[in-house]
Amino acid sequence: MDPAFWAKMHGATTHFPIAMIFGACLCDTAALCCWQKPASGPLRTAGRYAAVIAALGSIPAVASGLAMTRGDMLGHGDLRWHHLFVWPAFALLVAAAVWRSLVREQLSRRGYAGYVGVICVVTGLIAATGYWGGELLQAFP
Amino acid sequence: MKPARALGISAAAGAAALLAAGALAAALRHEAAAHSHELPPYVAPAAVARVAPEVLAARGKKLYFGNCAHCHGADATGDEGPDLHDLWVSDRRIATVVKRGIKGEMPTFGKKLNDADIAALIAYVRTLN
Repeated sequence: MDPAFWAKMHGATTHFPIAMIFGACLCDTAALCCWQKPASGPLRTAGRYAAVIAALGSIPAVASGLAMTRGDMLGHGDLRWHHLFVWPAFALLVAAAVWRSLVREQLSRRGYAGYVGVICVVTGLIAATGYWGGELLQAFP
Repeated sequence: MKPARALGISAAAGAAALLAAGALAAALRHEAAAHSHELPPYVAPAAVARVAPEVLAARGKKLYFGNCAHCHGADATGDEGPDLHDLWVSDRRIATVVKRGIKGEMPTFGKKLNDADIAALIAYVRTLN
C-alpha cells in the first residue's frame, strides 16, 4: 500500500464536511435573520441537511486522520493544536446534527438561535482545525 | 421530539462519537505496536559511504529544518523535543527513534524518510557535538 495512502484519504475526505458545515452555518444564520419571512423555512431545511451531511462526512475524515497518525489522538506541536480543535468540533457537530434531526421544526426562535450559536462555534472550531492542518502541511510538505 | 428531550440524546450521541473515535484510535495504536517489529533494522546505505561528510551533513541540515526543527528548535537546542547537541547514543539508536518515533512523545518518520535521509540527518546531528 502507498505509505501516504491515509494522508491522501484524509485530504480527500476532510474538505467536504468542512464545506457542508460552513454551508449549514450560512443557511441557519440567514434563516434566523429572516425568521418571519417565507425564505426562512427552506433555509432552515437546507441548514439541517447540510449539518447532518457534515456530521456523516466527518466520520471518514476522522477515521482517515486516526489511521494516518496510527491512533495518535493528540500528538505534539501543530498536530496537538489540530487535535485540540478537532475533537470538540467533532463531538459538538455530531450532537448538534442529532439534535436538529430529532427536533426538526418543533422549535422556537430562541431555541433555534441557541442551535445557530452552537453551529457557529462548531464552524469556528472546524476553521481552526483546518488552519492547524494547513500548518502541518507547511511543516511536513 | 421536544427540544429539551432531544438535548440529552444529542449529548449522548456526541459523547458516543468521541468514544468511538477513542476506541478506533486505541485499536490502531495496538495494531501499529503489534507490527512495529516489521521495521527493518538500521543499516546505513552503501551509497552514503561514498558521499563526503560535509555534503551529507548539509543534506541532513536541510532535512532537519523540514522535519525536526519544528519540535527540536531551529538551533536544535530543544523546544518541545529535547536538545540534540552532544548526543551520546549510537547512530543505530538515533535511526531507530527517527524511524519508529517515541510513543506519545515523537511521531514516526519511518515512512517519510529513507535510510539515506536518516543517515544524512545523523551526520548533521553529529556536527552539533
